[in-house]
Amino acid sequence: MKEARLTILNQDGFHARPCSVFVHMASRFKSEIWVRRDDVEVNAKSLLGVMMLAAETGAELIVRAEGPDEAEAIEALTKLAEEKFGTE
Amino acid sequence: MARSETLKGIAASPGLALGPAHVLAPLELDVHRRALPEAEVGNELARFGRALDVARGELEDLAQQLGALGEEETRQILEVQRMLLADPSVRGETERAIEQERVNAEYAFHRIFAQAAGAYEASDTETFRDRAVDFRDVSRRVLRHLTGLGPRAPLDLETPCVIVAHDLEPSQTIHFHKGKVLGVATDVGGRTSHSALLARSHGIPAVVGLRHVTRILADGDLVAIDGFSGAVWPRPSTRRAARVKRRARLLDQLGVQLGALKDLPAVTPDGHTVELSANLEIPEEIAHVLESGASGVGLYRTEFFYLGRAHLPSEEEQFAAYKGVAERLHPRPVIIRTMDLGGDKVASYLNTEAEANPFLGWRGIRFALHHPEVFRTQLRAIYRASVVGNVKLMFPMVTTYDELDAALALCEDVRQELTREGHAFDAQCEIGMMVETPSAVWSADVMAERVSFFSVGSNDLIQYTLAMDRGNEKIAYLYEPLDPSILRSIRATVVAGHAHGRWVGVCGEMAGDPRIAALLMGMDVDEFSVSPFDLPRVKALVRALPYARAQALAQAALLLPSAKAIRELLARELDPLLPPVLLGGDDDEREPD
Repeated sequence: MKEARLTILNQDGFHARPCSVFVHMASRFKSEIWVRRDDVEVNAKSLLGVMMLAAETGAELIVRAEGPDEAEAIEALTKLAEEKFGTE
Repeated sequence: MARSETLKGIAASPGLALGPAHVLAPLELDVHRRALPEAEVGNELARFGRALDVARGELEDLAQQLGALGEEETRQILEVQRMLLADPSVRGETERAIEQERVNAEYAFHRIFAQAAGAYEASDTETFRDRAVDFRDVSRRVLRHLTGLGPRAPLDLETPCVIVAHDLEPSQTIHFHKGKVLGVATDVGGRTSHSALLARSHGIPAVVGLRHVTRILADGDLVAIDGFSGAVWPRPSTRRAARVKRRARLLDQLGVQLGALKDLPAVTPDGHTVELSANLEIPEEIAHVLESGASGVGLYRTEFFYLGRAHLPSEEEQFAAYKGVAERLHPRPVIIRTMDLGGDKVASYLNTEAEANPFLGWRGIRFALHHPEVFRTQLRAIYRASVVGNVKLMFPMVTTYDELDAALALCEDVRQELTREGHAFDAQCEIGMMVETPSAVWSADVMAERVSFFSVGSNDLIQYTLAMDRGNEKIAYLYEPLDPSILRSIRATVVAGHAHGRWVGVCGEMAGDPRIAALLMGMDVDEFSVSPFDLPRVKALVRALPYARAQALAQAALLLPSAKAIRELLARELDPLLPPVLLGGDDDEREPD
């Protein structure tokens, strides 16, 4: 299992558009991927789940992957967050 | 029906509109829980699958239409809704509830989105609260098919009208085309709600957060809305209607003529340059600032970080926002004003008590210095953002030299702390202060030794100099930017600043009035910071009026005894010189109906 911490840098927070980019990327991996904020953890491949985290700008999330491509998944998702999900 | 009182909401999209109201009924669908006999489970699953597929197909078609129309903003919102319906966990959870809890599809499906909407409505952050409507919208789309109501009839407007709604859902804004929708007025919503954002992107005037406007207006009632001030006049008097119409016409002419000025500098015909910057309240307005042709942001208010939420904003949250603004403006400067809380702006979690005289009380820099940890967090965020752009910082409502001294010491402390921690910051980041109190005016010479610039906050300076409470309607007549005491205060600040080589700006409403801006320019004010909507008009003035004329005008005005005499002088000297379109301002707004 691999996990990493990511910070939401988008000005409006982790709202619909960045969430959809994130979920789209997560869905490309075979591994099971989860994302956690405080004590709430959701499936990273569920748009509704990820949106419901309502993570504002500056919020920290933990992403966790388990499966054959876990390292690649974590790397891709962290990079996406650093690039503000390409939406700004 | 009788005329109603003026309503006051949140100005969400600038502009004026006058027309018949088109009141949209709320779209609540009652959803009941029904126990499902085991034999019906298979049927129910199939029924749900069909409704989901139809709704998804509908969203795909809409997205295509919107793409063809170039309605990118709405298309993306609906694309997210389509993806939500494609989310395997949405389908899975609904099916699970139908099979295991034996509940009807409507209930099982609705519950998921009601929960999501509830979570957003409870958020501390305005942008999330304003988005709860997305979940309700997508949920209703499926429910309509489940309950056999079929697709919602599109908003088909035959005549141009003002849309009046509780809140606009994304699906309802699809047919927003300028010309048919004159304006928007809603009961709820903030400046970042869809109604507000879409109205702004379509250039449609909008006022939101009016509470009961849907109950006050009926279909076909005449309504006037002012998206600059947030005023709405249900069933306006003939005089009010005529006035709104005339101002709207002037604004139209102005928009066309002023659009051409965007990339031209703010230079007078005789070669004098003024710095013309814009005020910024929330980061997302930055597009308007850039469009307006501003040379930077002269006043970035930061109160919105603190208000309307349950806990303090973190350093990271503020840093991300300041950095974003600085990056987008670069190389143009942005002046970030540190927290100006207290007075009428109080954050509930800071344990403030009601005060008998809040405007003479615990506010501005006083409040910040009493909350050094909160203040330090903000200063750290500002300094850290200073490396990515041209950032300056400014203190609000300074009354004494000691306050300035304490605030500057805190800045020095923060700089040392950041250095120790290895954080980069701009060591040259300029620090300025607002001049908003008579004491600051009179101490401007000594304070000038400690700061890099002054910015006169005219709204508060008028209130404090004339000892008038801006919120008290009985003395509203005293709110007079042209009172000789105000002009002399500004002139004294300019003289004190220039003697120490400091530049002096004016931010506040008075700088946005072209006639007054002419006077300020003649008084050697170096910088104006005005709303992005007033900016082109002020730029047009600067480009039309020789500096020498403005100086002569200011000299004459400073000798006059009253605001009335000064106003007459300005009209006499400027009106023949300037195109009328520049002066089509809001000068009669204080008159009663």
